[in-house]
Amino acid sequence: MIDVRGVHKEFADVEAVKEVSLHVARGSIYGLLGSNGAGKTTLLKMLAGIYKQDRGDIFIGGEPVFENTNVKQKLLFLPDALYFFPQTTIRQMAQFYRDLYPSWSEERFTRLQEAFPLALDKKIHRMSKGMQRQAAFWLAFSVKPEVMILDEPLDGLDAVMRQKVKNLLVQEVAERQMTVIISSHNLREVEDLCDHIGILHQGEIVLEKEMDELKTDVHKIQVAFRGGIPSSFLTGLDAVYKEQRGSVLLCIVRGQKEKVEAYIHQFEPVIFDVLPLTLEEIFVYEMGGVGYAIENILV
Amino acid sequence: MPSKIFSYNRSLVMQNVRNVGWIGIVHLLLLFAAIPLRMLMIYTSQKNGYSPVIRNVFELSNAFQGLIAFTVPVLLAIFVFRYLQTKRSVDYMHSLPLRRETLFWQQMLFGVLLLVIPVIVTMLVAALLCQLPIENMHISAGDLVRWAMEMLLMELFAFSASVLVGMLTGISVLQGAFAYILFLFPAGISVLMLMNMRYMLSGFSADYYLSANLERIVPFIRFVELVDKPLAAFETVRYALATVVCCLLSLWLYKRRHSEAASQAIAFAALQPLFSFGVTFCFMLVGGLYFGETQRSIGWILFGYVAFSLVGFFIASAIIEKTWRIFHRWKEYAIFIVAIIVIGSFVRFDITGYEKRQPALSDIKRVYFGESVYQFERQAEENYISYVQSDQFLQTTQNIKNVYAFHRQLIEDRPTPFAFGENIRPVVIGYVLKNGEKMVRTYSIPIDEYKPFYEAIMESMEYKHNYYFLLQDNVSPIRQITIRTEAKTVQIADPKQIESFLAVLKTELKEEPFTEMISPIDEWGTIELLQSDGGQMQLSWKKSYARIDAWLKQQGLLSKARVTADDVAYAIVVKNEARTPLYDLVENPAFVKELETRTDVLRITDKRQLDECLQKASSYETKSRYIIAFYRTAHSEPEWHVMDEETLPSFIRKQLP
Repeated sequence: MIDVRGVHKEFADVEAVKEVSLHVARGSIYGLLGSNGAGKTTLLKMLAGIYKQDRGDIFIGGEPVFENTNVKQKLLFLPDALYFFPQTTIRQMAQFYRDLYPSWSEERFTRLQEAFPLALDKKIHRMSKGMQRQAAFWLAFSVKPEVMILDEPLDGLDAVMRQKVKNLLVQEVAERQMTVIISSHNLREVEDLCDHIGILHQGEIVLEKEMDELKTDVHKIQVAFRGGIPSSFLTGLDAVYKEQRGSVLLCIVRGQKEKVEAYIHQFEPVIFDVLPLTLEEIFVYEMGGVGYAIENILV
Repeated sequence: MPSKIFSYNRSLVMQNVRNVGWIGIVHLLLLFAAIPLRMLMIYTSQKNGYSPVIRNVFELSNAFQGLIAFTVPVLLAIFVFRYLQTKRSVDYMHSLPLRRETLFWQQMLFGVLLLVIPVIVTMLVAALLCQLPIENMHISAGDLVRWAMEMLLMELFAFSASVLVGMLTGISVLQGAFAYILFLFPAGISVLMLMNMRYMLSGFSADYYLSANLERIVPFIRFVELVDKPLAAFETVRYALATVVCCLLSLWLYKRRHSEAASQAIAFAALQPLFSFGVTFCFMLVGGLYFGETQRSIGWILFGYVAFSLVGFFIASAIIEKTWRIFHRWKEYAIFIVAIIVIGSFVRFDITGYEKRQPALSDIKRVYFGESVYQFERQAEENYISYVQSDQFLQTTQNIKNVYAFHRQLIEDRPTPFAFGENIRPVVIGYVLKNGEKMVRTYSIPIDEYKPFYEAIMESMEYKHNYYFLLQDNVSPIRQITIRTEAKTVQIADPKQIESFLAVLKTELKEEPFTEMISPIDEWGTIELLQSDGGQMQLSWKKSYARIDAWLKQQGLLSKARVTADDVAYAIVVKNEARTPLYDLVENPAFVKELETRTDVLRITDKRQLDECLQKASSYETKSRYIIAFYRTAHSEPEWHVMDEETLPSFIRKQLP
């Protein structure tokens, strides 16, 4: 559904996005992760047809997106910094979207009122930040877009509303095969939502994987040996991270689980455990690999 | 395409009405205040006897209308395209399924409506009010339509130009500022370039180009002139064309503009160097002009160029970077300096041969010679004749040769454009060629060094004839002559006497040397000639006109016409080694009082000597080395003059060396 090929974008002298390629299949939820300033917003704005890329191609549903009304009618972009016309109410905004998007569903709009307890005729500018975001989601879901591009969408929502929105998203994807690309610097926020993950660092995609694959391919192990760690032990492992706690060696390794286990058993460890690894940890170690200060990423 | 343009209008128009609609209302109210309200005010104040003559709608409130025409559209352009200038709104608008072209025409159309509707409504209301019996108001339906058309044309021009500027910048405040700069730019840069060219090229005649009504290309000045001068057809076409070009250029730029240009001073990276070098260049010219006019030296001009260009570069860079810490950009400034030095030396060393250019003598139809360029172009439309015409066309072969030779000499000498002083005079030399081409040069030169050239031209009969209106054949008969000096007046009405006087006067004028023409020693007073057609001609009665003196003496009129030696009891000559200006000395009562008792002065009582002193005393020069006070019999206060050293009577020089 979304096909990005070698996209490059510079601002003044800064390369915000460097030769990024990614692919998002129809009906999937793609999580775009990265630290602040990694280029997430720039990439998403290019996907939404707001920015024009300097090089490369962006196709949505097989068509280029920039200045393409056909594509944009099926696409909805929710920016991290929301914008509403000054002095408008939700009712007026709904009218505006009704005019602009042929897929607008009046029925859906009415039904969603239950989910979003907002006054139709209240000026959106007078609402709190969280309520404004709810209003934006309400309008976005009522458009029933084929593609939704969400930039840090859950900021400012309380836990209940967060779950509600997530549920609505999953439901839309399940029912209508909507495609979602969602950015976040907060892993936990999207961990349970995405089926694909891409990590953007300094404008480049450093990792792009299917969620399940990601979790099965990286393992946290702790091992101890009688008489210390064999000198050749680590050479056979693809260790991303290692740490020695007394006689116990803690490390994070990549590779198929069976192969790693078989390899370690050769050395006859006294202790050998495969520990559960959160997505957050994977992220930290992956980013650590590209030389980023780990502490700053986690939220 | 049109169907696409209008297809989404409802929702956007609603938004526009909510956000920008107020400008339309303000526009209408302002126009109401400027026209219908003004008509009512005039109507009600008629009773008090106040009824100004109103010949067209512009006359009702000219300046106010101008203010409306050049503020409302600029404001409107800023607000209609305000969404482009903030990040959130531009991202939002460009994420919607609307093409930029659609958005652009939507916004333009909306803006145009906010301009057109109030103007039309005002016109209709004014038409109704024209039915009121208002004395001295002559506004026809045609006037109303003309007003609406011209007002709209000006407003639409201002609007589209401001939109264009808005596409080039990403900051609304700058959009407003740049819009006004754009209106002034063509005239401003022309003036700056022309004035600075004078410093670079010897003989460059900036005045000639400046006289071409440059102010007419400043739109608001042109607007104010609409009262008297409706837009000519070519002007209408020009404004309409400019409006269309601005619109299309805006759209072209909009399509190429990045959304992220919002809040950037210059929206297109490619234009940033152009902007900063342009500002630097303009500042440089201003600096050169300022120091050129105040200090008149090449050193100061260069200082002005460097100092002001630095300031300009700093300002431009600070605007682009939105910080004043821009010192890292010095390399760009260095590039500018190098480029300017290269271009400047092209001009200065005159690669086009401008300074040396002179048409072939055989191609010249006539030459222009004078002190200012203004008569060069305007000869035809002159409706008042001055009695002394120093700027004129000459066409005798001899004079063409004389002027040509003068110019040749000036080309060789390359006089500095900065010369100034009492002895420096401007000289303008122009050529009209046989093929109709024109060429003009202006120099400032010390007269003394070019005496022979001046003599040859100004003492020629052709020049004299043009110079003194009295010498021309088409002068209507003179009915009366009044000779007027400070204290005395003589009138001559006898036709025979008039004829004889005029013959002497004409001889005097024909024989007058050029030095007396441009800087006479002094004048006794004026000679007024009353013509049979009621016109009056005035000439100065110069002290050098010895034949007039002789004639008056012979007719027994001299003592009635002016102060003579008989009126003077004695005179005192005092040396003024310090060359204190005369007016300062006279202000000092001690100096005046002591003068009569001082021993280092010369007291003159001899009538013949007094007469010579009267003839040579001058009041033009003030810082002379000799000062003379005439003590007249009938007056208590002396009359002060100076004596020029060159014409100083020998007896004074002998006794007061």
